[in-house]
Amino acid sequence: MAVEPKQFRVAPSSGVPIFRQIIDQVAALVASGGLKTGDMLPSTRELAKALEVNMMTVSKAYSRLEADGLVERVRGTGMRIAAPPVNRSLADRLQEFQAHVAPALHRARQLGLSDEQILSVIHQTLRGRPDGS
Amino acid sequence: MAPDVIRCANLQKSYGKTEVLRGVDLVIPTGSVVGLLGTNGAGKSTLIKCLLGLLRITAGTATVFGEDPWDLSAATKARLGYVPQTVKVYPWMTVRQVIDYTGAFYPQWDPQWCSELLRKWELDGSAWVRNLSGGELQRLGLILAMGHRPDLLVLDEPAASLDPIGRRGLLRSLLDATSDGTHTVLFSTHITSDLERVASHVAILGNGVIDFFGELDELKDSVKRIRVHSAADLPREFAVPGSLRTEIAGKTAVVAVAAVDAKLLDDIRSRWDVSVDVEDLNLEDIFLELHDA
Repeated sequence: MAVEPKQFRVAPSSGVPIFRQIIDQVAALVASGGLKTGDMLPSTRELAKALEVNMMTVSKAYSRLEADGLVERVRGTGMRIAAPPVNRSLADRLQEFQAHVAPALHRARQLGLSDEQILSVIHQTLRGRPDGS
Repeated sequence: MAPDVIRCANLQKSYGKTEVLRGVDLVIPTGSVVGLLGTNGAGKSTLIKCLLGLLRITAGTATVFGEDPWDLSAATKARLGYVPQTVKVYPWMTVRQVIDYTGAFYPQWDPQWCSELLRKWELDGSAWVRNLSGGELQRLGLILAMGHRPDLLVLDEPAASLDPIGRRGLLRSLLDATSDGTHTVLFSTHITSDLERVASHVAILGNGVIDFFGELDELKDSVKRIRVHSAADLPREFAVPGSLRTEIAGKTAVVAVAAVDAKLLDDIRSRWDVSVDVEDLNLEDIFLELHDA
C-alpha cells in the first residue's frame, strides 16, 4: 500500500520549517496506524509537486526520517515505513517519552491541576485507547 | 563544476555620494534556490545588477562562475539566465516569434524544451505579446531566460506585479523548472510567503549589508520569540544574551532571540526564576524582528 501525496498538507508560512512539518505528519500517520510497516511514502518528486514545495525540502525530511529509523530507503523503489525499532534500550525509549510529557505537565500546572487530577487524565486516556498500538 | 556559483566579499556600490551596498559578503552554493529578501530600496536590484555585470561595482570583489562580472566571457554569459523586474519584449511579435528571435542569439538554444514549457505553462505560441497578461508575460520572460538551459537563473522581483493566482502559477513554474537540482536560482522579493515555499536558502539584505544568509529551515529553527513570565516584577537589568529585541512589561517580557537552544532556555529559567514559552516565527515575523532591531 502507498500513501497518497494528498494526505500531506503543509503550511509554508508557519514558523515550523516545512521539512519538520512533513516529518511530524509521517510520524503522526505511523502513530495513528494510518501508515503501517512496509507502506511506501510518495516519491520525493511526487510529494514536492503535490505540496508545491522545493524538492530538497522533501528529501531533507525523508533523510531525517531515515536517520531516525522511521523509514528505510529501498533502492530503486523509494521510502518504506520501517518496522518499529525493538533494539533501543528501555532507558532510551523512556527518555524520549519523558521529553514529550514534560511540556504537557508544565501546561497542566499552569492550568492549576493537581497531581491526582493529572494522573486521572492519564489513566482515562490510557483506558480510552487500545494498548500495545 | 565549482562548488560556489556566486562569491562576493565586501562588495560596495555607490551612486555618486549615495551608498547603496556597503559591503556585501555572500557565497551561493551550486544547486541552491536563494531568496534575496529586503525592504524596498534595500539594494536588491542593485546587487543583482552588479552580479550580472549590468552595473560596475565601486569596491570589493565579486565572482560569478569564478569570473569578474564586469568582464564575463561569452561562455560564462551563456550559463546565465536573467528575468528582469519588468519583462520587456516587442509587443508586435507573437510569443513564438519572440522565442525564436531570442533563441537566435544563443548557440545552445533548446527549441524543443521551449515548446514543452509553452505547453506546460499554457502559453499560446500564436498570441500577440501585447495581449498577454502580467502573469503570462512573466512566464514568457522565464522561458526566454531558460531556453538555453542556464546553470544560474536570476530573477528580479518576478512576482511583484502579479495577483495571488499569477504568483502561485509562477512559483509552480519555477519549482517545476528547477526540480532537477542542477540549477542555481537567485530571486529577489519583498514578499516573504513567495520565498517560504520555494527557497532552500535565504539572504536578508538590509541597509546595504547581508543581515543573514543561510538555510531557510535553519533560520526558522534558530530565531524565536520567547515569552518570559515571572512571579514578581522583572528586574530592570533583565536581559537575554543574543537578543534582537526585548520588551519588558511588569511580570512578563517578550524577547526575540537570534539563536535559541535548550541550554539558553534553561539558563534563563534558572537565572531569573521564570517560566519561558517559545514561539515559532515565520519568515515575515523574523524579517520584522531583524529589521526593528
